[in-house]
Amino acid sequence: MATTMATRHAATRPGNPRSRRPGATRRRTRQRLTILSFIAPALIGIVIFFVYPLISALYFSFTKFNLLTPPEFVGLRNYQNMFHDTNLIKASENTIWLVLVMVPAQVLFGLGTGILLVTMKRSATIYRTIFYLPALVPPVAGALAFVYVLKPGTGPVNALLANFGIEGPQWFNDPAWAKPSLTLLALWGIGNTMVIFLAALLDVPVSLHEAAALDGANAWQRFRHVTLPMLSPVIVFSTITGIITTLQFFTEAAVAASAASGQATNGGNSVSTLFGYPEGSTFTYPLWLYVKGFGYNQMGYASAMAIVLFVVAFAIILLVLKRSKSFSGEAS
Amino acid sequence: MTALATPARSHRRAPVPPPRPVRKRRSKEGPLLFIARHSVAIALSMMFLAPFLFILLTSFMTNTQSLTSNYWPTSWHPENYIAVFRKTDMPKYLWNTVLYAGLGTIFTIMSSVPAAYALAKLQWRGRQLMFLVVICMMLLPPQITTVPLYSLWATYGLTGSLWPLILPTLFGDAFSIFLLRQFMLTIPNEYLDAARVDGCGEWRTLFKVIWPMARPGIAATAMFQFFYAWNDYYGPFLYTSENQDNWTISLGIASFRTLHAVAWNLVTAATVFAIAPVLIVFFFAQKAFVQGVTLTGVKG
Amino acid sequence: MIRPWRSGTAAAACLTAAAVAAAGCTPSIKPVEIASPGVTASGTIEFWHFFTDREADAIQKVVNQFQAQFPQVKVIVKSGQDDSKTTQSIAAGQGPDVALSGSTDSVGKFCSTGAWQDLTPYLTRDKVDMTDIPQVAQDYTAYQGKRCTMPLLADAYGLYYNKKLFAAAGITSPPKTFSELTADAKKLTQKTANGNLKVAGFDPLSGFYENSIAHFATMAGAKWLTPDGKSAVGSDPAWKDLLTWQKNLVDWYGYDRINKFQSTFGDEGSADNAFEKGQVAMNIDGEWRIAAISADNPKDLDWGVAPLPVSDSRPDAYGSGFLSGNVIGISKNSRNPEAAWQFIKFLTTNTDSVVSLANEIKNVPTLLSALKSPNLSLDPNFKVFLDVFANPKSAAAPLSAAGTAYQDTGQDFINDWQAGKVKDLDAGLKKLDENINQALGG
Repeated sequence: MATTMATRHAATRPGNPRSRRPGATRRRTRQRLTILSFIAPALIGIVIFFVYPLISALYFSFTKFNLLTPPEFVGLRNYQNMFHDTNLIKASENTIWLVLVMVPAQVLFGLGTGILLVTMKRSATIYRTIFYLPALVPPVAGALAFVYVLKPGTGPVNALLANFGIEGPQWFNDPAWAKPSLTLLALWGIGNTMVIFLAALLDVPVSLHEAAALDGANAWQRFRHVTLPMLSPVIVFSTITGIITTLQFFTEAAVAASAASGQATNGGNSVSTLFGYPEGSTFTYPLWLYVKGFGYNQMGYASAMAIVLFVVAFAIILLVLKRSKSFSGEAS
Repeated sequence: MTALATPARSHRRAPVPPPRPVRKRRSKEGPLLFIARHSVAIALSMMFLAPFLFILLTSFMTNTQSLTSNYWPTSWHPENYIAVFRKTDMPKYLWNTVLYAGLGTIFTIMSSVPAAYALAKLQWRGRQLMFLVVICMMLLPPQITTVPLYSLWATYGLTGSLWPLILPTLFGDAFSIFLLRQFMLTIPNEYLDAARVDGCGEWRTLFKVIWPMARPGIAATAMFQFFYAWNDYYGPFLYTSENQDNWTISLGIASFRTLHAVAWNLVTAATVFAIAPVLIVFFFAQKAFVQGVTLTGVKG
Repeated sequence: MIRPWRSGTAAAACLTAAAVAAAGCTPSIKPVEIASPGVTASGTIEFWHFFTDREADAIQKVVNQFQAQFPQVKVIVKSGQDDSKTTQSIAAGQGPDVALSGSTDSVGKFCSTGAWQDLTPYLTRDKVDMTDIPQVAQDYTAYQGKRCTMPLLADAYGLYYNKKLFAAAGITSPPKTFSELTADAKKLTQKTANGNLKVAGFDPLSGFYENSIAHFATMAGAKWLTPDGKSAVGSDPAWKDLLTWQKNLVDWYGYDRINKFQSTFGDEGSADNAFEKGQVAMNIDGEWRIAAISADNPKDLDWGVAPLPVSDSRPDAYGSGFLSGNVIGISKNSRNPEAAWQFIKFLTTNTDSVVSLANEIKNVPTLLSALKSPNLSLDPNFKVFLDVFANPKSAAAPLSAAGTAYQDTGQDFINDWQAGKVKDLDAGLKKLDENINQALGG
């Protein structure tokens, strides 16, 4: 990284770095070294764990590479093959589905629970803790729990529905229901989003509400014209972070698929052959990237997928940088 | 905006305890509204709690019963928990998880605090650029760099262990740097100036002035990092799946069902092992968490 | 302010460095140098296998026998390792000295990439009698003339059937052809009052337990690959026979109904296996199920086993079936290949140890001398599998340098097909041809 550091304190007045007093140069050099010492570990980290792998992935994406034999240059073949990879298409569709359905569902549910809590009085604390608890559960444990709870046939939820004469869906075992089931799991762990909305809702000045009420606005109008405008940055923010986290959705999809498949790896099956169950409906983009790279040892192809993911994610990040003040360098 | 308290990555699922008491808003409301509100809240509570309850109950069933649609165990089998220990090496998984989360957190704080300070409170050319790179690192999916990093660690013979996950934390963690920087921005510059007038060097200023004032932010960052590592599945799965001696709890319970073809009574018991520690920690340290994050929740 | 050009310059600078670094760190394959005959191996070796639980205990017994005979070699055993973990860690320059894989699926990959060493020098030096190994097992352990694995017990597949349900349905003998299988499946199927399935005569869905497309393919004699290693799926008419038969039976049940019924089954490897529980009356499974049934000891299960039914157009193939086998080899990273070879030689070519392992794990022994051994104590039903194994029409899945990529592609296709998502079978198979060729080349 080009970090030539002509330094000056945030605190000291700008405008006098050109002073030619003796000792000033030496002081400046010392100051530069001090700053370097602050950021050196992080700089090394950026180069080794970010810049190098990024460029390296670009290089690998033009090769056939299996870690066992040296990479072999194949030009654009990996990229061309992506268009014919039915599982990749499925995985991309699934990821887009999650972005279009799961992310809005999370935002709406987080907002809804936040609004509910903000209108509660004394009992809010206990509800808040209960609503928050699932967010603490490790993703693997949550996925396993949901596969069990939503087990078709004998699982508690379908057994409960059967009591009411409702025939529950096949949940994680039905390609049409597997992603909705993952969405339910995500909604169960809504805690963090809820807290962000709750905090934002508490920041809406009471006086504004009172003024609006005096003007004869009803509850909906007050929400629509007072609360919502105040919340819109938070809504945008959680939508964008939601999209970014959905682009890397891996753990829940992987664990739920292998647990719901009912197949065992003790016959020597690789666990990655169970991913995507049922019928590839839970393959997400990063999951298929993993299977290609580490299940089939097609590291070159996986790298090509990584580069495409990078381009998409980077476009979204640019959007974040544009929209969000808190990310901009000169905040505070 | 409350960007500070925002877990920018979902897999950084740390307890962000809710901000405290709800301000009184309107005093008059009809009993109907009151009942409606509480019915919804109670219904939601039941839905949030039901999975915990089902898992706990099933973990005490016989394997045959766990395949039936009964909710309540006909007979209680706490020995399921012993069976989990016999089939897997839970204490070892637990120890590995503590090692990964513990060392990872300490290293992260050590390496990220100075960088965050330089980004928040010092001015130098390249600062903006570095901050942007940090944001990109934080937001880009980790899968993008997986293949080259894996082959990098492979050349040093470190795959199969947790070191590829722990060692990088010595070199800063993007999310932690971001969070700490945002927190440090809220510390008034006057304190720094005072320290500098007293002739403190930057390192001394960092430790004497910033560190104590940023303690809540550091605590929150450490918490995020610890819970991130504790819950991480992708990392241990990628690097240690072939070596059971280095498995973490998440990996252990995820593989439990497929590897041993066990019935749900044991799977749920293993799941309880993974959930219980975080819940216990949360209930004991809730106050500290709330304090840390409420302070972090200052607008950025 | 954002200045993108600056990161661009930095990136360009690093590009060259990274490319150089990436090219520099690639592993190379070293030629194997082996010791002269008569050298006693010693030292420590790490042995990875895929077994868990009961079967892991069984193989441990044989390891102990080896240790008793060769105390100077110490074997460290790690269980529950699948092919992708093994390949991944060997590729990372680590992993075991000796690895045991549960199927022939990865042999092509192991041999062609050099991940597992060529064993020929050892075999020649020690004058191992390869004629004691059945031809089929010799075939599936070597890829394009390179023998990088040895067979260690084999698996054969058959049709398990529930005698009690057969008697109740008035069926006297197990089905021999697809149409008989369909007819019997219909007779054996029982429904509850509200139309849900209570017993499925035969669950035809691919992806269920052992109903993989590869296992089905052998029943129809359908070819995967042409001699020059391209996809044969579009050109071999047997595929169309197979898929049409399968889809008809699926449709008879109704895809949704059988799928829903299937989701109430216990896990394949558990005591709640649907066949053991009487939820399916006939089931494709391997010979190891015999041992599992006797270990699980399910209530009221009276069962028998027969060869797999074959497609109606080739009745003469009855008696054959899908074969697979465990294969064992030495990693290219092994620091002690001599001791590793000693271990493999003991496990795979020593009649006594093969017999005792076959007795423990209840798999088909892979030595002719072991098959004839009086010490081989197997369940009477096991004869069916020995015959399937000896049948010249039985076959293992073809080996490919891309591992199971072609089978997985086929499996994706049949999943769509049975769900009714493929409207035109001919066009679908043609597309599958392309996909398989691409998967083989990727």
